[in-house]
Amino acid sequence: MATVAADPEDLFAPEVIADPYAYFGRLRETDPIHWNPRAEMWIVTRHEDLVWLVRHHELFSSAVIRNDRRPPHPPIDVADRPLFEEVRAFRSDQLVESDRPPHQAMRNAVHEYFTPQAMEGWRPFVRAAVAELLDGGEPQGRMDVLEALAAPLPVRVITQMMGVPEEDREHLRHLADRLLYINRGEPDRMRFLMEGIEGMIEYVSPKVDERAERPGDDFISVLAQAEGEGVFTRHQVLVNTALLLFAGHETTMNLICNGTLAFLRHPEQWERLRADPEGAARLATEECLRYDPPVKSTQRIAAEDVERRGKTIRNGDRIRWIMAAANRDPRAFEDPDRFDIGRQPNPHVSFGAGIHYCLGASLARIEGQEVFRALAERFASLRLETEELSYQPSIQFRSLTSLPVAWD
Amino acid sequence: MARELHITVDHGVCMGNGQCVLLAPEVFRHNDDRQSEVVDPAGAPEDVVLQAAGYCPTGAITVVDAETGEVLFPR
Repeated sequence: MATVAADPEDLFAPEVIADPYAYFGRLRETDPIHWNPRAEMWIVTRHEDLVWLVRHHELFSSAVIRNDRRPPHPPIDVADRPLFEEVRAFRSDQLVESDRPPHQAMRNAVHEYFTPQAMEGWRPFVRAAVAELLDGGEPQGRMDVLEALAAPLPVRVITQMMGVPEEDREHLRHLADRLLYINRGEPDRMRFLMEGIEGMIEYVSPKVDERAERPGDDFISVLAQAEGEGVFTRHQVLVNTALLLFAGHETTMNLICNGTLAFLRHPEQWERLRADPEGAARLATEECLRYDPPVKSTQRIAAEDVERRGKTIRNGDRIRWIMAAANRDPRAFEDPDRFDIGRQPNPHVSFGAGIHYCLGASLARIEGQEVFRALAERFASLRLETEELSYQPSIQFRSLTSLPVAWD
Repeated sequence: MARELHITVDHGVCMGNGQCVLLAPEVFRHNDDRQSEVVDPAGAPEDVVLQAAGYCPTGAITVVDAETGEVLFPR
């Protein structure tokens, strides 16, 4: 009996969403720079190629939203095309969507706020927030890691960084949920996204005026000061505050959920962490980042014609680089499919590389370390409550829809 | 007279963010792989070198007092 073959180029096929490692791993071994005609983009999967590509920012532009004139993929409702243009205008001002020279001035203005040592100062706040969130759920014997811990933690941290009151958290979490539609595939996603964008502009704009008058040590003050110095326009301040909320939210959620799941699937590594939660947390977090990264892939657009491995990438071609595949490249990692929380060195590319290397990497690391440490200290018998797990249909994010766990 | 510094960049850790090259171009430069390397440890004042080390998002840079061996970064 004949069966209908699934389209091997469908990046949103259920099996690709469920197991990106098998699909992109095959590409990495057979056609490491692959043209996907359906998505009209190059797929780059080897560690060496990915690092080369990202570090050559003059060849591969980050201004994809601004410069890519192809219609959105997957398609959106026709009636929402004007909304898409508004979203384009908004997102074009994101730091992550900019190239040098403007990128350099903008990055300089915010880089100091996020250095590893500056972020260490946030560890006590993160530790206390994790403890508070877990205290609430511990007597119940079960929780959805996503709802109880992974989603609220980054919102708490980011609202504190924005210097806004605790009672605004729920509102900001709602806006963050709406902003997450940036990377979804639903045809009506632009409406939800616009709701998040307009909500952020409305919420943040008066705060920027306040901080310009009376600066504090918060992130909005840093941006307001940069606006005063002419580095940022007001629009860029608003856009990049929204970016902080959005970028720090789903990524951290995924680090916490995917890392916890990796431990649940590898009991011997969980025992290893439990033997020394504080000492093991740092390298363990790096391995969680490598093994099942929060961001599977991201994109660039070629700024000139480039030859690589016998392929010609043309000026204007889109390129999607797959961290999830590069992190499992046997040329870069020994026994790459093994989850080994003592792995060292661990040159994973989960935070990217080059001039756009994740601004919030140090904060993400601290959040991961504090969460895995606290879970190991509290829940000796942590176990999965279901094998029925599913992921958001995103090409970019590796996002579980829930992670129910229990303990004795 | 400024003390002599010994500066190293760990290429197992450097991701080529380039902040050190921007801050202290006389001290750090990019190699062919776009990783940072030290070109002249005396190319900038010590406080600038330490700032560059602190700006590295991956902590790839170590700064040591060349005479005493005291680690100046990271502390």
